[in-house]
Amino acid sequence: MQLRYVFTELRTGLRRNLSMHLAVIVTLFVSLSLAGIGILVQREATVARDSLGDELKILVNLCTDEDPSHSPNCASGEVTADQQQRIEKEIADSDEVASSSFQSKEEGYERAYEQAKRNNTQAAFEGPDPVVTVERWPAAYWVTLKTPERADGIISALEGLDGVSVIKDQRKALGQIFGIMTVLKYGSWIGAGFLLFAALLQVTNTIRLAALARRREIAIMRLVGASTLYIALPFLLEALVAAIVGVALAAGLLAAFQYWGVEKALSDHVQFLPWVDWGDYTQALIGLFPPGIVILGPALTLIPTLLLTRKYVKV
Amino acid sequence: MIRFEKVTKRYPGPGRPALDQVTLDIDKGEFVYLVGTSGSGKSTALRLVLRELRPTTGHVHVAGKEINRMAGWKVPRLRRQIGTVFQDFRLLPNKTVTENVAFAQQVIGKSRREIGKVVPETLELVGLKDKGDRMPDELSGGEQQRVAIARAFVNRPMILIADEPTGNLDPATSAGIMNLLGDINQTGTTVVMATHDHGIVDQFTKRVIELDHGKVVRDEASGSYGFQH
Repeated sequence: MQLRYVFTELRTGLRRNLSMHLAVIVTLFVSLSLAGIGILVQREATVARDSLGDELKILVNLCTDEDPSHSPNCASGEVTADQQQRIEKEIADSDEVASSSFQSKEEGYERAYEQAKRNNTQAAFEGPDPVVTVERWPAAYWVTLKTPERADGIISALEGLDGVSVIKDQRKALGQIFGIMTVLKYGSWIGAGFLLFAALLQVTNTIRLAALARRREIAIMRLVGASTLYIALPFLLEALVAAIVGVALAAGLLAAFQYWGVEKALSDHVQFLPWVDWGDYTQALIGLFPPGIVILGPALTLIPTLLLTRKYVKV
Repeated sequence: MIRFEKVTKRYPGPGRPALDQVTLDIDKGEFVYLVGTSGSGKSTALRLVLRELRPTTGHVHVAGKEINRMAGWKVPRLRRQIGTVFQDFRLLPNKTVTENVAFAQQVIGKSRREIGKVVPETLELVGLKDKGDRMPDELSGGEQQRVAIARAFVNRPMILIADEPTGNLDPATSAGIMNLLGDINQTGTTVVMATHDHGIVDQFTKRVIELDHGKVVRDEASGSYGFQH
């Protein structure tokens, strides 16, 4: 195969159809950026849920020795096996509870340590005499509610039980945050969906125009026995170039959003939430589910190009 | 080299078939005129040979292969064995004579060295050795048709199909083109030429297959055009 010929055709094709290619690139850039932001918001929701629990959950911390809450329920110090059994029974008997899980001191400590490291506030966990230790960290129950509206019964039942230190009920605050995230996520995905559809139509038009401009060459290529792949290659490469430029621009914009938006602005101002990091950014680029923009961009240009060139350059 | 066995080709819609139970045999190295009125089925027959169409019934064999059920990916390989020339030349206006001829080799992946050797040889064969740098619109009709023939012959096909190659040319130029096709035929290439040009058929006597309403009505080893238009 003469690559020189293919690249000459590619250059000619890009030049001849420049305005259409620019339109495809701009649309891809905006739509992939939106899709990427959607993925980052989804990752953010996951990170926040992992760390704080979701709006259907309440956290029931059990008493430790020297419990910092100074709750009368903790007068006898560390929660006893009997107290724990009663708490467990109360949770199991409640008709407001869908399920519950026990989190040991070690698990809770590990989770908190990971979150602190994410937010760069792990100093309290480290050093020769750390403030936060496994012994001081409370064991807890994660209680999942049937609906976020109904929790009064279980909360009031647990509040008075010996061995229960604090009940963390963040339904309202978290519900709002997750609500905003859901709106942002679906908003950006719907926007991205419309724009990606527009990109798809533009790719289709671009190929149709390119095939029309090259119809004489294509007819001769077919007659002299050029393979379908050889005839389609310049089209595919044109689509690939548009996709690469679109993806690169979107990746750049997302990197700027991650650096200046998340790391420099949001992380500083909203410290109680853990924030997406560069690992999540990488997922937005090359993740498989949902597909990252490095997969989405080429797929959205190459698949229609392949289908259409099969139609236009069929031997 | 080309064999039609009871070939019928029916296009969608009502009406008679374009080809109706056509059986014919063209041997290697033959020169055959395909004559007949417009709509007699000449172009359909040529397109069947090129596997641009498939017969509705019957079998088409080209270069020893039955091409009816040939897989799509094998068709380009078949077409490399067939050169095609048209009445309207179909040259690429933005390429020089040499580039037009080289194009047929580039797109099937021939090396630059081979192209550099074969293209000038072919241009010499068609009498355009000194016009390789010209653009098509700087050439006469006869010269443009020679370029088209050079492009069709540059890959040294086993079969050359010419669809009304002299249709746009004056008699003297047409005679030159016929001599060139005769020279190509002398190299062993089978030539099948569809034509309306009775002067050419009568002057350059060859085998004549006449089609009428999709049927072979005459097949003479050394025939004349046979009817006037």
